[in-house]
Amino acid sequence: MGVGQYLNDLVTGAWSLASGMGVTVRYMFKPVSTVQYPRERLPLPEAYRGHIELIPHEGGHRCVACGECFRTCPSAVIKVQGFKRQASDHTRARYFFIDYSRCSLCGLCVEVCPEKALRFSREYEQAEVSRYGAVVDLMARLHEGGPS
Amino acid sequence: MLRKTLTDDTFYLNMGPQHPSTHGVLRLLLRLDGERIVECEPVLGYSHRGHEHMAQTKSYLRFMPNPSRMDYLAGLMYNHAYCLALERACGVEAPRRAQYIRLICAELNRIASHLLWFGAYLLDLGGFTPFLYAFDDREDILAILGEVTGSRLTYSYCRFGGVARDLTPAFPQMTRAFIAKLRARLADYDTLVSKNIIFINRTKGIGPISREQARDYALSGPNLRACGIGHDLRRVEPCSVYPDLDFQTVTTNQDAGIGDCYDRYLVRMGEMAQSLDIVEQALELIPEGPIRAKGVPQEPAPPPGDYQFSYESARGLLSIYLVSDGSRVPVRMKWRTPSFSNLSILPLLLPGTLVADTVAILGSLDLVIPEIDR
Repeated sequence: MGVGQYLNDLVTGAWSLASGMGVTVRYMFKPVSTVQYPRERLPLPEAYRGHIELIPHEGGHRCVACGECFRTCPSAVIKVQGFKRQASDHTRARYFFIDYSRCSLCGLCVEVCPEKALRFSREYEQAEVSRYGAVVDLMARLHEGGPS
Repeated sequence: MLRKTLTDDTFYLNMGPQHPSTHGVLRLLLRLDGERIVECEPVLGYSHRGHEHMAQTKSYLRFMPNPSRMDYLAGLMYNHAYCLALERACGVEAPRRAQYIRLICAELNRIASHLLWFGAYLLDLGGFTPFLYAFDDREDILAILGEVTGSRLTYSYCRFGGVARDLTPAFPQMTRAFIAKLRARLADYDTLVSKNIIFINRTKGIGPISREQARDYALSGPNLRACGIGHDLRRVEPCSVYPDLDFQTVTTNQDAGIGDCYDRYLVRMGEMAQSLDIVEQALELIPEGPIRAKGVPQEPAPPPGDYQFSYESARGLLSIYLVSDGSRVPVRMKWRTPSFSNLSILPLLLPGTLVADTVAILGSLDLVIPEIDR
């Protein structure tokens, strides 16, 4: 390698580092793209998929406990139990539990529901200290009017 | 496994399974002579979850969330490939609109995957700044995909015969803004990284793979194209609406037929630009119409037989081999994932190199370990 080549490499190398630094300096004066969580929060998209919840309907819900969601769920997240007051009544769901720790949020339960009784909630801070904390009683949640 | 008693001056070094630059839980058993590698053996199986067995125990529909868990960086592409494989087996075709939506999302996912690779690779090599820019851009893609799929990493968005949700009105505008932004950013990346003398010295001439070696080890994806073989399944075996779109297969070194870490980097950067073109064209071409095929059974059950489907994922050739007996549960579902073959060339590349270059070579192959183990 000749001296000319060496000097050329030196200058090109130094220039590449300087121009790279130029890019960094330019970005220093651009608006920041981070958000100071938890003081600031990003808006959730409309399509956001949290765990499922029952859609409120005329003071109750539409679930008839047919068990389609329960059978379709890939991870056995859902437990639903129906109830009839008397033999001629339609079955209504009385207990609806999900174990969120097993849920992979695929949304198959929402799609298969023949009564369109389910939707995705907008919960996203779901850290729990115990695995039992991830079990959600959707009926209680519906009646308490949890965040939606 | 290397269990020989060492009689010379060499010694063993365990790299991984918890090493940050193995990107997952890969264990490399290195036999070293001082700072030089004599032998290398990758040890796998630390994140084996048995996806193929899971497929045999549940119906096709209930397997839907699993493919995106195999390669979590290109979850949508795996999801897309699974749906296309099922549709081909059942003889169903999704509506054109759904096919375009899937394609746009899959290509955005490819960019996101390459961006993450870019950031993480530079981080491995000791450059922290590009990582932050890459994640800033990737964040935009995740916001776009979140807008349409409702999820950020493991999407489960494609469905048998369509997609789960239609595009939102904000989607085309967000995507166009992102395309313009990333094009400007790619020029910055060029100045910041591609021409950077330190990066060039760390990657040029390191880990060269010849065309013959690439063929012997069944390399695929950008690693193969960096050796000058222009094999891209989107062109070779086009699926979905890829034939309608105009894009180039990015290759380097077509004359020399040997590709090093720098070439693999260049191919991925070129692919990002090509994917941007694809997304831009698809946004123009996307027709109105339904997003789910009519009259498709909820639980797919392909007719008895063997089916094979190949797809170009972000890391290379993804192939699904399906054996059906006509029921709703597959008899066998074999997933050929690209990273396994890409990893298998490592014992050939590493001997003779320095430990510091291990990270450069390993990173340049863009391995995702859960995809190897499945």
